[in-house]
Amino acid sequence: MREIMRMIVVLTLIAAVSGLTLTMIHRVTAGPIEYQTIKFVKEPAVKKVLTGYDNDPILDRKKIPVGTDPRGRPVELVVFPAKKAGETFAVAVEGSGKGYHGQIGVMVGVSKEGVILDIGITAHSETPGIGSRVTAPAYTDQYQGLPAKKGTVVDAISGATYSSKGVVAAVNEAVGLVSKFREEIF
Amino acid sequence: MAGTLREEFTKGFWRTIPPFRLVLGLCPTLAVTTSGINGLGMGLATTFVLVFSNLFVSLLRRVIPTQVRIASFIVIIASFVVIVELMMQAYFYPLFKILGIFIPLIVVNCIILGRAEAFASKNGPVMSLADGLGIGLGFTLSLFVLGLIRELLGAGTLLEIPVMWEGFAPFAFMLKPPGAFVALGVLLAFMNLISQIQARKG
Repeated sequence: MREIMRMIVVLTLIAAVSGLTLTMIHRVTAGPIEYQTIKFVKEPAVKKVLTGYDNDPILDRKKIPVGTDPRGRPVELVVFPAKKAGETFAVAVEGSGKGYHGQIGVMVGVSKEGVILDIGITAHSETPGIGSRVTAPAYTDQYQGLPAKKGTVVDAISGATYSSKGVVAAVNEAVGLVSKFREEIF
Repeated sequence: MAGTLREEFTKGFWRTIPPFRLVLGLCPTLAVTTSGINGLGMGLATTFVLVFSNLFVSLLRRVIPTQVRIASFIVIIASFVVIVELMMQAYFYPLFKILGIFIPLIVVNCIILGRAEAFASKNGPVMSLADGLGIGLGFTLSLFVLGLIRELLGAGTLLEIPVMWEGFAPFAFMLKPPGAFVALGVLLAFMNLISQIQARKG
């Protein structure tokens, strides 16, 4: 009996100590991990859609509460502001839309005047060679300079209608979020 | 059983160098050694876990009851693996992306559990540290060399610097899983050849 007690106590103690240590390390590294993930996943797209800024849009990112998800947890919109002399003149916001194969993530740069600067695809799993053509400049460049509101028409890629629609939906979502939370963003 | 401190440290470099002599931990050895840097990163991550798990297993060796020793070792090893994983994610993100699933899989690397069971649970902390560091650095060295060979033949670069002559057509096959087995086999053959020559001289 004493032996069993000893086993239980020792193993419990070891597990408790390691659990506690890991919690502490998790707390310490949570910030850097978030920064690194954004830096390596989102930064290329942010750099593509924003130009002429003199700040670090990744470091200056703002989180705006936009509501709650079905489980009641708060949902935050992350915006990457481009500033010149401390003044925000454009932002990059990510939207997502349903493509042919799952979600397409699109980073959209919107200027203060409400013009789309450029878009960049952050994530997609479209068919290589067909749907994946939405990532090519030939497709994304046609968004440059469009007014940031619904109703404008862009050419879809023939044979990749669903992928094109997915990108349009993602851009609409991002643009909609920017105009909805305009006050908080600029 | 335990030799001198120096013996315990240096045995990992040739006499019992994993994965060549012990032929343990082959899964990461074959999977991640597509370049020198990847091999080095994986080796150092494993070394970190090995050194600290050896130290703690050795310190707790009189406290841990024999019946639950394996479970305790695994908890200790797993904790250090998570530490490595979080640290890599926070400070070496590109390497973390490349090594991917093989970082959490260090938990089941049999070199680490093997050293905990065979050495650290029977020896003092200083000896166990030396053992862990020696075996770990030996493992790192093996992965690094294997990675360099495969990178050189498979991509024509060393540490991402092109070194082969102009017009060199890389053997892309060396970067695929079969290439890993070929490189490992040839390396093992060379090591056996050297050992044989040494034995004849001795």
